[in-house]
Amino acid sequence: MKPQPGQLKRIRNRISGGGYNYRRFARFAMLAAVLLLLLACSTGKQSTWDPVGPVAERQLLLFNVLLWVMVAVFIMVEGILLYAAVRYRRRPGQELPNQIHGNTPLEIAWTIVPTILIMALGIWSVITLYQFDEPPASANNVLHVNVTGHQWWFEFEYEDAGGGKRIVTANELKIPVDRAVRLTLESDDVLHSFWVPKLAGKVDVVPTRTNHMWFQADSDKIDSLPAIFYGQCAEFCGIAHALMKFQVRVMDQQDYDSWVTNYGPPPATTAQAQKGQQLFGQCVMCHTVDGNNDSSAQASRKEAYVAGGALAPAPNLTDLRTRGTLAAGLLDLNKENFKRWVKTPDIIKPGNSMQARAAHLYGSGQLSLSDDDLDALAAYLLNLQ
Amino acid sequence: MAHAAEHAIEETTTGLNHRKMLMWVFLGSDCMFFAALVATYMVYRGQSLTGPYPIDIIDVPITTISTFVLLCSSFAMVQALSATNRDDQRGIRIWLLATAVLGAIFIGFQIYEFNHFKNLGLTLGTNLFGATFFTLTGFHGAHVTVGIIWLLGMLVVAMKGRLGPASSLDVELVGLYWHFVDIVWIIIFTLLYLIAGFDAGPAALPGG
Amino acid sequence: MASITGVIARPTGYTGLWGWITTVDHKRIGVLYGVTAFIMFLIAGLEAGAIRAQLAQPDSTLIGPETFNRLFTMHATAMVFMVIMPLSASFFNFVVPLAIGARDVAFPRLNAFSYWVFLFGTLLMHASFLVGQVPDAGWFSYANLTSTTYSPNDGLDFWALGLLVLGVSSVAAALNFMVTIINMRCPGMTMMRMPVFIWMTLITSILLVLAFPVITVGLVELVLDRNFGTHFFDTSGGGDPILWQHLFWVFGHPEVYILILPPMGVVSEILPTFSRKPLFGYPVVIFSGIVIGFMSWAVWSHHMFTTGMGPTALTVFTITTMLIAVPTGVKIFNWIGTMWGGSIEFKTPMLFAIGFISLFIIGGLSGVSHAVAPSDFQQQDTYYIVAHIHYVLFGGSIFGILAGMYYWFPKLTGRMMGEGLGKWNFWLTFIGMNLTFFPMHFVGLNGMPRRIYTYGEEFGWGLLNSLSSLGYVVLFIGMLLLVINIIQSLRNGRVAGHDPWDAPTLEWSISSPPPVYNFAEIPRVEGRDPYWTTKRRAEAAGQPVAGPEARVDVSTIHMPSPSYWPAFAAVGVVLIAAGLLTHYSLSFVGGVIALLGTIGWSNEPATAPQSHH
Repeated sequence: MKPQPGQLKRIRNRISGGGYNYRRFARFAMLAAVLLLLLACSTGKQSTWDPVGPVAERQLLLFNVLLWVMVAVFIMVEGILLYAAVRYRRRPGQELPNQIHGNTPLEIAWTIVPTILIMALGIWSVITLYQFDEPPASANNVLHVNVTGHQWWFEFEYEDAGGGKRIVTANELKIPVDRAVRLTLESDDVLHSFWVPKLAGKVDVVPTRTNHMWFQADSDKIDSLPAIFYGQCAEFCGIAHALMKFQVRVMDQQDYDSWVTNYGPPPATTAQAQKGQQLFGQCVMCHTVDGNNDSSAQASRKEAYVAGGALAPAPNLTDLRTRGTLAAGLLDLNKENFKRWVKTPDIIKPGNSMQARAAHLYGSGQLSLSDDDLDALAAYLLNLQ
Repeated sequence: MAHAAEHAIEETTTGLNHRKMLMWVFLGSDCMFFAALVATYMVYRGQSLTGPYPIDIIDVPITTISTFVLLCSSFAMVQALSATNRDDQRGIRIWLLATAVLGAIFIGFQIYEFNHFKNLGLTLGTNLFGATFFTLTGFHGAHVTVGIIWLLGMLVVAMKGRLGPASSLDVELVGLYWHFVDIVWIIIFTLLYLIAGFDAGPAALPGG
Repeated sequence: MASITGVIARPTGYTGLWGWITTVDHKRIGVLYGVTAFIMFLIAGLEAGAIRAQLAQPDSTLIGPETFNRLFTMHATAMVFMVIMPLSASFFNFVVPLAIGARDVAFPRLNAFSYWVFLFGTLLMHASFLVGQVPDAGWFSYANLTSTTYSPNDGLDFWALGLLVLGVSSVAAALNFMVTIINMRCPGMTMMRMPVFIWMTLITSILLVLAFPVITVGLVELVLDRNFGTHFFDTSGGGDPILWQHLFWVFGHPEVYILILPPMGVVSEILPTFSRKPLFGYPVVIFSGIVIGFMSWAVWSHHMFTTGMGPTALTVFTITTMLIAVPTGVKIFNWIGTMWGGSIEFKTPMLFAIGFISLFIIGGLSGVSHAVAPSDFQQQDTYYIVAHIHYVLFGGSIFGILAGMYYWFPKLTGRMMGEGLGKWNFWLTFIGMNLTFFPMHFVGLNGMPRRIYTYGEEFGWGLLNSLSSLGYVVLFIGMLLLVINIIQSLRNGRVAGHDPWDAPTLEWSISSPPPVYNFAEIPRVEGRDPYWTTKRRAEAAGQPVAGPEARVDVSTIHMPSPSYWPAFAAVGVVLIAAGLLTHYSLSFVGGVIALLGTIGWSNEPATAPQSHH
């Protein structure tokens, strides 16, 4: 049927006036957004959507409530905006619209309602802040760990890991499940931030200050033990900031206790390991393998460094063999990666301190240890049989 | 004719002259500058890792004299403006000169003081007290110096006989600036000398 | 004026390069700011492109950490200080005197001085590229990474000194606009009859003059630490790195309102024009702007939620930050109210204005989620924050600025910008912007921190990062179209006439481009939207307004004369800073030049005697 002349004109105007396309586009945009949402909510290894403990859980709950409020406000306000844009688009020959200047009751309403909503959310947030600042009073046997941030690795010191035993380790924080862990946070050099999303939000590590945080891993949220949770420094700290990672290994109480009991230097039972133990003497200016759980060697190295000495604090390697990764969470721990790391650290982690500081090993530009030497070192530190 | 209207007295919306308004808002901005410097000083009060500490260094009697000198310079400034308004050419020159000279004496005291502190072991880099003290008083001294240069410039104009009631605003502007710098000094003197001037090392401070 | 300055005669003409260097005409200064800032926009945009290229894939080796750290530092520093702020300044310069019925700003030479200092400061900071010592500690350069121990090369000195110079420019301009707006309004234009853009300019200027001194102190202390042995932020001497954060953010938070209020003002001008309705709730919009200005001083530590301030401080700043969302929301509702019941025409300025609102809603909402400290603990320093920043600064500020560009281009040049290209520019920018930044919300919540030059594949961030990088390509094309549109429109855009949009404010009553004296006769207004009133009255009386105000002979009007002192003094200022990077003798020379410049400037009358008759 042939369209009436007026009809054609109206259709053309609708299309060129932008309204028609705008509405269709808006629908498309919404669809895309929903798809994106579904796609993006997949949780990864370091996701905040997948809490395994009360602190991260409460933080996520707060966020989720906020999120739904935000989504609702978004749909409402964007919706009204789009509706106004479409409904009030100019039609040809339209008169000057009503020159309204405002509406006082409306102004009052849309000031007061958001204020009330915001205050409600605000009060709940404040309660959360106070509630979750320290482990709950009901938490028994809180495990205390002192975290020190360095460029570019994290150091962990347990004053009493169990049975009065003092342990210093690095890059992998081992904790027992279902037990509150309270961390103190200090820095050896610049600002860092300790962040393991599935356990808790981050707290910065600030030189001259001691910050604190706590978290707990709940067994009912974890599929199987031991479980690894991934963390990363979250405050820009220099060239290797992107590679300053760490892991939290959650173990059941038995496994944790046996790690504490067995914590000590590698046994060096084979000849190759003993050769490695000897070679390790070239590493002790920075790295420590505790002979008898006494961290004084590490501490005095640190003092000498702070006082301007050439020595640098580097990760304590006593229990390296029990860790899952190497080089601050960068590489899986195995013989090949170990050798690769010691041989060419600057390629794997540009800006790291090892090659720069161990001039006696890397002075000529290349590692002065042979492949056999590296095998021996690996056998020692990793306790390879 | 639009032309004739343009030659009328400069009309501003508030009636206040543009340059006067500019000076006031600039001084407001400068307030924030000194506020941040004072805040740094107060935050670091008692935080120096080593001496010398204020009590070892600060000489309230001497600085009271230099403060008095600066106050007198403000008095001279007021007289200079008054002289300008009544077209007292001799008075204008004398009082402008007096303001500048008194300001220079104040700077003289500052230089003596800084040098004396240096001999007692306090420099910019010695400790937090040195850093915050010298930065704050140094910038104040720089402001005074700029004022002295400005005053001398005005004096040159006055010597040529070109300063009179018609240029009252010009004198008022330097006066506003000068009084501001004086008020900032009063605040510095009160906080850094009369109050914090007796600070000993960190162990001696309450909660330190 | 023969004595000191008679060596070089005062310029009299408005032509050629020398005419541009000595101009004190606010319209030309607006063009200078606009062109310089737009070039910086393209440069900083390319820096973003490099960042997106590197992050498009996990474990990429395209760009190493040193270069990457420099890229994100310079991208952000440039966008904040050398793009958005000067683009806003460009609008202040061009529009403010016209919209308040004035012939120029209160201090035309100070105005020119602000521009030259801005240009030289920009060049100083980018000279760091020439010597290969580029700032690389992030645009807020937290201490103590910025100490010489951890940042030994000169990059941070370039950064600090460059910003100090730029600060001089911003404060000088803000002082100028405060006096202009308060003191040079045409008869009848009370404060509550000023266009909203003028109000936002005033509030922004007040924020600028009060906030910049605080970062000036921080930067001075940083320079002292790095070069003169102090320990303000150096822990080995008892310094506290957190002091830097406080000083920076006491400036930094008002700064973000400095970045958004002018574009909000632009949008508040455009919506009524293209809805053919006055702004809904004018007094409320103004009041909200004032409240935001005040409250912006009370929220700064929300940038420091994770530094361990303790629950009391966290509580205070959570509450204040959440409350500042209220006036912001009120503005948005009033803008929608302006459109409601109107007669909306979707020209390009209106598209960008509506785009601004829709994108700012998203940015504002994510901002509310940061305000809640416990949830911010997961968001801080992640890409969720990067998403928020870009929704408010790109979707907000840049979109507002682009809207203003399309809106006022006809007034500036006498030609219209192409509508077809304009719409393509808008849609590509809108889509590209969302494609680039929306996925960042998710990748941030999925654990991706900020400022990392690479990431492992195992975290599952690859796909969304690729999408973001794809979005950049779309944005790039969109911006390319903008550049083409500008060039084409300048060459042979449709002639605009004095009032192509049937707009309500005074600047549309004069010819396009405006005569050098702006108004032949200073207008007298009786209410808001004065030109609408004039036009509708004339139409009702049967004599509709046919053209712009008639031009008159420029020599009959008192105009400020051109001058070389502003540029001269600006050279002095930047040499003082440059000398601190090279040889102190250069600083001394700079000081002498600045002093001579000041003397010459103050001895020179605002209007040259010979142009007076």
